[in-house]
Amino acid sequence: MNNSSLSRRGFTQGAAMFGAAAALPVHAFAQEDAVVTISSPWGADRPFQKVVDAYNAKQTGVSVVNRLDGSYEDMATKALASVAAGRPPEIMVTGWKFGYFARRTLAARDFYDIDSTKADAIMGNFKPSMKPLVTIDGALIGLPWSLSTPVTWINMDLWREAGLDDNIPLDISHEWLVAQAAKLDKALGNKKHPTYRSAIDLSNNEWTSQAYIQNAGGFILDGTNLTCDSAEAIAGITAFAEPAKMGLWTNMDYRAQAKAQYAGNIAIVTTSSSRAGPLSALDTEFKDVMFPSMDGKRNMNSGGNFLSIYTQNDELAKASMDFLAFCATQEAQAIWSEMGYANVSKFDLGVKPLQTAAVAQLDAGLTAETIWPGERGLEGQSVWRQWVARITEGVVTPEEGLARAKRELAPLVSA
Amino acid sequence: MRQRSNVKRAAFSKLAPIIFVGPAILFVVVFLYAPIIFSVALSFSSWNFISPEINFVGFENYRRVFHDPNFQDAAYNTLLYCVVLIPVQIIVPLLLASLILRVKNRNLAGFYKATLFLPTILAYSTAGIAWLWLFDPINGFLNSVLTAFGLPQSRWQTDPNLAIWCVAFVTFWKNFGLNMLLLLAALVSIPKEIHEAAALDNAGPWRRLLTIDLPLISPTFFFVAVTTTINVMDDIVGVIDVLTSGGPYGQSSNILYYMYERGLSFFQFGQASAASVIIIILVLFVTWAQFRMFENRVHYES
Repeated sequence: MNNSSLSRRGFTQGAAMFGAAAALPVHAFAQEDAVVTISSPWGADRPFQKVVDAYNAKQTGVSVVNRLDGSYEDMATKALASVAAGRPPEIMVTGWKFGYFARRTLAARDFYDIDSTKADAIMGNFKPSMKPLVTIDGALIGLPWSLSTPVTWINMDLWREAGLDDNIPLDISHEWLVAQAAKLDKALGNKKHPTYRSAIDLSNNEWTSQAYIQNAGGFILDGTNLTCDSAEAIAGITAFAEPAKMGLWTNMDYRAQAKAQYAGNIAIVTTSSSRAGPLSALDTEFKDVMFPSMDGKRNMNSGGNFLSIYTQNDELAKASMDFLAFCATQEAQAIWSEMGYANVSKFDLGVKPLQTAAVAQLDAGLTAETIWPGERGLEGQSVWRQWVARITEGVVTPEEGLARAKRELAPLVSA
Repeated sequence: MRQRSNVKRAAFSKLAPIIFVGPAILFVVVFLYAPIIFSVALSFSSWNFISPEINFVGFENYRRVFHDPNFQDAAYNTLLYCVVLIPVQIIVPLLLASLILRVKNRNLAGFYKATLFLPTILAYSTAGIAWLWLFDPINGFLNSVLTAFGLPQSRWQTDPNLAIWCVAFVTFWKNFGLNMLLLLAALVSIPKEIHEAAALDNAGPWRRLLTIDLPLISPTFFFVAVTTTINVMDDIVGVIDVLTSGGPYGQSSNILYYMYERGLSFFQFGQASAASVIIIILVLFVTWAQFRMFENRVHYES
C-alpha cells in the first residue's frame, strides 16, 4: 500500500477535525464574556442598538445582546414564561405602567441589592425627580430610560393654509385650542382638500384623558383610592370629549391616527412627545406646543419605560449593572437622545428639534402615568380606556361613564 | 430455531400497534389532553406560573368571568358572529360552487376557482393588515370610493357600530373559498345520469339542487358545517386581533379574544383558563348538537 494514499480512517479523522473546528465558535477558544440579553421593543435599526453597540465596542468583558421582543405586553408575556422556566432576560425594557407587575410578579431586582455603589452612581446622573418614578415598593428597580409626556403637535402647513396666526404661544389652553380647531375646520373642511381630513385628535386613550383630568385638578387614582368620578375629573373628561361632540375630531385608533398625522391629514394632535423623532424627519412642518391647560392649570403626566434587571444570577446581575452604568453616561445619553424622548439626565445635551414643549413640561414637573395597583391592576387600564372611548363616542355622558368606570374598576384595584 | 422466530414474530405483532400508534397517541396526550386537564385545574386556582403558591379558589374564576361585562359583550358578539357567519359561509360558497359548475369554459371555471380560493391561502395576519389599509378611516381605498361617489366617509373598523361587521366581512372573505372548493368537489362527484334523469322528469335547477344535489353532497355539507362552526368560534380571533384588537370598547371581541386578553395581556391565568373551559364546553356542545340533529340526515352511500 502506498504511504502517501489517504486511508479511510485518516480521511474520517481529518473530516471530523475540520468539522469540529468549523462548528466551534471563535469565542470557544477565548475567555467567555458574560452575555447580557435585553428584551426590548426596538430592533437593530433604532438608536438603542447604537447604545448597545457603543458599549460592546468597549470590550468590558460583558457582551450585550439587544433582542426585539415586541410590545410591552409581548415582552412581559415572554418574560413571564422565561421566569417560569428559570431563565429570565437579564434586562427588560419595562413600561412604566408595568411597575407593580415588574416588581411583584416578575421580581425585578433592587439595584441596591446588586451593587449599591453603582446604583447611587447611576441615579446620580439623572434628575432627582426621576428616582420616585422608578422606585416601586421602596425598591429602586429601574434606570429611567424613555420619558415622554403628551404634548400638542400642530401641522403648520394646514395651520397657515387656514389663515391662522403663525405666532403660536408655547403655553396654550383647551379653550384656545378648540377655538383654533373650529376656525381651521371652517376654513379647510368645506372644500375638497387633498390632505386635510380632521381638525383635531386628542388621542382616544388612557394617557391623554388622564392629562385632561389632572389639568382640571382631579386624579383617576389618588394613591389607591379611585377618584375618577370627582367633579374635577368630570370637568376634565367633558372637555376631553368636547371636540368629538363638536365634530372636529374624527375618532380613530392609535395606528390609524399615527398614519393620518404623518400623512398630513390631521391639523392638531395631542400625543406623545416621542413623536418628535418621526415628525422631524417628515417634509411637513410641525410645531410642538404644551398640552392644553384647563383654567390656566396644568399637572401633566409622564410615560415611557425604564431598564430593569430580572436575572437572579449575581454575576449576570453585576454584568447588567455595568451596562446600565454605561447607559447613564453622557455618551450613551447623547446617542439615545436621537430617539426623541425627553432628556432626563443631568447632562446638557441641548434641546433637540420639536422638544421644546416636552422640556417645558418636564421642567414644570411630571406625575407618573397611572400604575394600576392590585393583583388585577393590568385589567384596570383596559377598563379605563374602554370607558374613555364610550364617553368620547357619546355613548354615555361623562358623569355616567365615570361613575360606571369607578364601579367596574373598584374590584380590580382592590383585588 | 423456528420456535424462537415465531416467538419474536408474536412479540412484534403484539408491540406493532403500540409502535405505530404510540407516537400519535403521545402527541395527542401531550399537546391536547394534558393542556385541557391543566386548563381545567388552573381554572379552579389562582396561580401566575411563577409563584410557588397555588391557591384553590373553587368557582371564583368562573364567577368573575360571568360577571365581567367584557365577557358578556364577548359572548353576545360570539353568538352574533355564529348567527351571521355560519349560514353565510355555507350558503354563499354553495351558490358559487353551483354557478362555477355551470361555466362551460374550463379555463374560465379554473380562473373563477383560483380567484375565489386565493384569500384562503393568506395568513390571517396578512389578510388583516391588507384590510386594515383598505378600511383606513382617513385614507383608505373604501373611503376613496365613497368620496368618488359623493358619499360620506366611514370610520369602518374604528366605528363602534361597524367594527363587528368589518371583522365578520373579512372573516367571510378569508374563509368562503375553502368551503366553495369542498362543495364544488362534492357537486362534481354526483353522477351525471342522476341529473339527466331529473331533467327528463322536468326538474328545474332549484329542485335539482334541493332534492338531488344537497342530499348527495350531505357528507361534505355536514363536514363544512362542523368545521365552519369551529372556525367562526375560534379562528376568527386572528382577524379580531389584527383588525380591531376587540375594540372599540369590546364591540368586536369574542370569547376567544377575551380569553387571550385575560391570559396574555392581563396575566390572569385563572380567568383565562375558566374562559377556555367555557369555550371547550361550548364548541363540544355545538358540535354534539350538530351531530345529533343532522348526522341522521347525512347519506354516506353514493
